[in-house]
Amino acid sequence: MSDTLTAPPSAASGPPAGPGQRPRRVVEALWLVVPYIVSVVLAFVVGGLIIAAIGRDPFAAFESVLTTSFNTRFGTIETLHKWVPVLLCAYAFAIPLATGKFNIGAEGQLLVGATGGVALGILWSDLPMVLLLPCVLVAGALSGAVWAGIAAFLMTKFQVNEILSTVVLNFISFQLIDYVASHVWPDRGAGHPATTPVGEGALLPGIGQAPPMHTGVLLTVFLVIVIAVFMRRTSTGFEMRAVGANLRAAQVHGIRTSRLAGAGLVVGGAVAGLAGAIEVAGVHGKMLEGMQSNFLILGIIVGLMARGSMLALPFIAFGIAVLEVGAGSMQRTAQVPVEMVLIIEALILLFLLLSDIARAKIRRH
Amino acid sequence: MENPRLEMRGIVKTFGPVTALDAVDLVVGRNEVHGLLGGNGAGKTTLMNVLYGLYRPNAGEVLLDGQPASIGSPKDAIAAGVGMVHQTFLQVDNYTVTENIVLGTDVPGPLRLDLSDAKARIRELSERFGLTVDPDAVVEDLPVGVRQRVEILKALYRGAKLLILDEPTTNLTPQEVDDLFGSMRAMVDDGMSVVLITHKIRETLSVCDRMTVMRDGRRVETIERADTDAEHLAEKMVGSTTDPGAAVDAAALGAVDAEKVEEILSSVGTTTAVAVRDLVVVNDQGHELIQGFELELREGEIVGIAGVAGNGQVELAEALAGVRPLRSGSVEVSGRSMGGLATSTWLHHGVAYVPEDRHRDGILPTASITENLVLGSQRSPQVRRRGLIDWGAAKQRAVDAIAEFSVRANGPATLVGDLSGGNIQRVILARAFARQPRMLILHNPTRGLDIGSTRFVYQQVRKATAAGCAVLLISEDLDEVIALSDRVIALYQGSRAGEWQHGSVDAYAVGRSMTGLGEARV
Repeated sequence: MSDTLTAPPSAASGPPAGPGQRPRRVVEALWLVVPYIVSVVLAFVVGGLIIAAIGRDPFAAFESVLTTSFNTRFGTIETLHKWVPVLLCAYAFAIPLATGKFNIGAEGQLLVGATGGVALGILWSDLPMVLLLPCVLVAGALSGAVWAGIAAFLMTKFQVNEILSTVVLNFISFQLIDYVASHVWPDRGAGHPATTPVGEGALLPGIGQAPPMHTGVLLTVFLVIVIAVFMRRTSTGFEMRAVGANLRAAQVHGIRTSRLAGAGLVVGGAVAGLAGAIEVAGVHGKMLEGMQSNFLILGIIVGLMARGSMLALPFIAFGIAVLEVGAGSMQRTAQVPVEMVLIIEALILLFLLLSDIARAKIRRH
Repeated sequence: MENPRLEMRGIVKTFGPVTALDAVDLVVGRNEVHGLLGGNGAGKTTLMNVLYGLYRPNAGEVLLDGQPASIGSPKDAIAAGVGMVHQTFLQVDNYTVTENIVLGTDVPGPLRLDLSDAKARIRELSERFGLTVDPDAVVEDLPVGVRQRVEILKALYRGAKLLILDEPTTNLTPQEVDDLFGSMRAMVDDGMSVVLITHKIRETLSVCDRMTVMRDGRRVETIERADTDAEHLAEKMVGSTTDPGAAVDAAALGAVDAEKVEEILSSVGTTTAVAVRDLVVVNDQGHELIQGFELELREGEIVGIAGVAGNGQVELAEALAGVRPLRSGSVEVSGRSMGGLATSTWLHHGVAYVPEDRHRDGILPTASITENLVLGSQRSPQVRRRGLIDWGAAKQRAVDAIAEFSVRANGPATLVGDLSGGNIQRVILARAFARQPRMLILHNPTRGLDIGSTRFVYQQVRKATAAGCAVLLISEDLDEVIALSDRVIALYQGSRAGEWQHGSVDAYAVGRSMTGLGEARV
């Protein structure tokens, strides 16, 4: 071992006194925030160049991308409605990731959660809302948990790689909802595989008029707080973070790591399942094919951008929701295809990952 | 000195804010074994890494045979006749000795690899310098001592006139050390120069012609062998002290002869704290690396396990820490049978483990000191309030621990991965002691630590034994084991190969037992 690894502590300066702490903290915060800003700016610059290259006006395109969410009440509500599944799928990815496991199955878990919710919403459609709505949401979360639980079981019992199993379970879930939407409770008139509507009591009440915001948004805000407290303050949350930080050290200090990793997957699945139930109860009123949209990939992007910070997730997810909602109007006003937004999102992530390397280099001098 | 082989003048090397070398001079003559003596963090290895072209100095110059040498890479160094043997060997395990030595040199013809010349040359070198090696042996089958000879031959084969050996006696038995020193003398008699980097005064005294003592990145003095003795060097290297246990510390640091230390630092009680019966432990591949191990530890007793790395130390430590399941046999702590219980239960019953690999097994690098101190007791009532972890109280305890264990950090929020090795070890010890352990397992607890931190570890061990804690000290540093332990047990291939009481330890006997040659082994 090189002597330099244990550089003489006597040579280093002692701990700075109280006032020295503050600028240090500011510097640390800057190191945290600046890469995000730089990455977003760079992504827009590169994206703008691409838009200009295909002969469209990048400024018009970005104006509609960035302002649609805030110009109209409709845009704002739509953004919040988008924020919910994107954020919940981001949690579904980030919570297992805290224990070092990759859940690539959020869309499967979302769809199975939607199936669970829609089943109760249709079967018990006569129940009053106070009974039915909680049942639908809980059924969604439980179904998602069970779906992810399959992968968790295979992982802890047989060491089956969770990336493979969660991805494969996505494909099975496509078949499952296809079957449910076209054979169990098909809506023949929909012209698209979809179930019949759920009962009135299964719908999340709306707030305001034209269009109303569904209360799933408030539920999600509540969930953000619960998850933050869970990860920060509970023993299990701490253990999950410990496993993610150093699996070996966690084991040596008595944490049952494989059980915990499995639990992380199940909790992630429950959150994704809840997202499915909220989509049913708040947005669609039924289950339909394709409702998973691109939430899986957005959730992964958000989860990776947050770099392990559960607190950053809601904000990043909101930014992504703004871009997603703006994408449609960008296509209308500037004739730039919606896919451009996904490119920008990917570029942000790419620059953010590059910034880690740049930062390490700069800090080492 | 006339016509020296090597002159380094005013070498300065900084790493960020840390000055690792502060205007260091070093002169090595011809036909000389030069000892570079100092504790960890003194800058010995850094200085030699500068010479070998691994680091570029901020200032200073290097002269080889009187000529200014510009060494920008190990390749330049080798071309200039400088060879270096590092503590960790870079060898291709499934190649033969000859192949490893030739690797990276020019061999005739791109298509045909004819190694017969090389082999003859290696044979000649190994005979000339007493470096006994079979050129056809596959490296992975060889013990550490022989692999080291391969590394030395590598340097000689490349025409080294100045050979640097970085702590070469780590992991060698006393017998192997004697052989190595014999080879070093043969080299200097043949016209070479050797630099021996070491923290062991005894070694410099027995083999070096001159030595340079370093401390805190500075050269303290350079002195002829004839003009010095152990006490003088110890004072230069460690700084004088009259603390209780100073003699033990000095011996454990390799400054004086460990066998002659009469002082003991433990306080052995009468109650049995730990009883291990017929223990069998398997490694990750399912091989039995600990076979039928027996051990009894009394309260306040320190038992040292001496052995060459890879003889089951890791498995023994992990089994007794409750981290690795027992294949068979039993472990009792304070009369309670622990076999089959969860790791957290072992912790709960007072077993504390300070693992060998601090970074891999000991810490959460991306978590704060506060969080690292909570690790392992996150479910205990002391840490929780109304079902949630009380971080406010945890932070206060962290502040106290930082003060008590003299951790150099900006505060409890400092990430442990940003701390130096010595400070990481202090955090690990603070965590272990916070639980008032009944049994403390220390595995190579001072490896890579500077002298201050090493002493601190010994002080803490003393404190633990005074409180009745039984200590199992597993270490590859024989001086440390002999100086600190009430009893020394040699471990060879997973079994006991001998036992000695404090004060009647013969290092050579321990060395023989560690390599399976002891009489005690049946």
